[in-house]
Amino acid sequence: MTDFHPQVKQLLDGEVTLADLPPELRAEGEEALRLLAAVDREPVTFPALDTRVIEELRRRRSKAPSLWRRLVAPREVRLRVRPWTLVPALAMAAALVVLLSRPESTPAAATVTVRFVLFAPEAQEVALAGTFNQWDQAATPLVRTGAPGVWSATLTLPVGQHQYAFVVDGARWVADPGAPAVDDGFGRRNSVLSL
Amino acid sequence: MPDHSGVSGGGPRATDGHVVRAILAGDTERYAELVTRYRDRYARYAARMLGSADAAEDAVQDAFVRAYDQLAQCRDPDNFVGWFFLILRNRCFAERRRSKDTAPLEAAGAVAAAERAEVPVEMAERRRALQHALLELTPEQREVFVLKHVEGLSYGEIAERLNTSVPSLKMRMHRAYDRLREQLRDRA
Repeated sequence: MTDFHPQVKQLLDGEVTLADLPPELRAEGEEALRLLAAVDREPVTFPALDTRVIEELRRRRSKAPSLWRRLVAPREVRLRVRPWTLVPALAMAAALVVLLSRPESTPAAATVTVRFVLFAPEAQEVALAGTFNQWDQAATPLVRTGAPGVWSATLTLPVGQHQYAFVVDGARWVADPGAPAVDDGFGRRNSVLSL
Repeated sequence: MPDHSGVSGGGPRATDGHVVRAILAGDTERYAELVTRYRDRYARYAARMLGSADAAEDAVQDAFVRAYDQLAQCRDPDNFVGWFFLILRNRCFAERRRSKDTAPLEAAGAVAAAERAEVPVEMAERRRALQHALLELTPEQREVFVLKHVEGLSYGEIAERLNTSVPSLKMRMHRAYDRLREQLRDRA
């Protein structure tokens, strides 16, 4: 018998208090309240959603009718970050780069919108430094996403090869484990992004 | 969690109806105002319904895109957000049914919460167990639980939002309580 007593359901509904229950139902009432105490009411926010929605609408508006334009049209590649599947001992980081769109069709002016994502649950701040911002740690801060511990930044970069690293709490440089890397000549590894 | 926009602390702003009518008249860039205004309002609802913040973000994005496509069908522009909620709700229900047919979603929100340093281990474990149990409910049962116990709405408010009656909601909720108890006992 696993059904809650009707009076305990009233307790769960907030219509009576534990003290209103007869003594024989108190233990069941306490079990019910423990269930409610486990409800996760932590807020969830999606700070990057505005950009995602507007980019998606613009992408759809710019869809070209011809077969050729369809073949070369921007396409979205969405990779889902599942940081909790990563080995915690790595301490920090799984990062990935998501190709969002390729809005320019002229090769000379081609750019690509890229989303950088880093899992850094202990971090207070995360930034992106690379050849595209002259390795300026202050130029490209990442923002927290809806998923706890996940940070992201979206940049529009010119087609070509870029090197980058994440800077955690202003001091710790983290290469992207999901991207190829090269030695920076100073004992660290830089991730490489080819667009 | 009021449904209608009004005047924010930063000064008067256009009502939802005003913005919707402007978009339909051709000022499509103003849709960004609605997205900014409501992007987070139902984020937690979607996350708890789907058991994953990633899936929730995708669902909210898709709902906004779908709402834009169907904006001309919004009969009451001043209640854009109520209409948007129903689109998102349908999206969440469809996603759960689809994922049920393929692979079960991870209870990501709870798992992620469990990894947050500020949440005690025991509480994180209980949250995780409850989130898993919630995913075993029907979408209709889960929804009424989420709206009441996560979003803090009364039965009356939920009934108004879902256009149903309080007795039927209570019946759904009480079945949900029993199933949650059963699930949690099985996991204990």
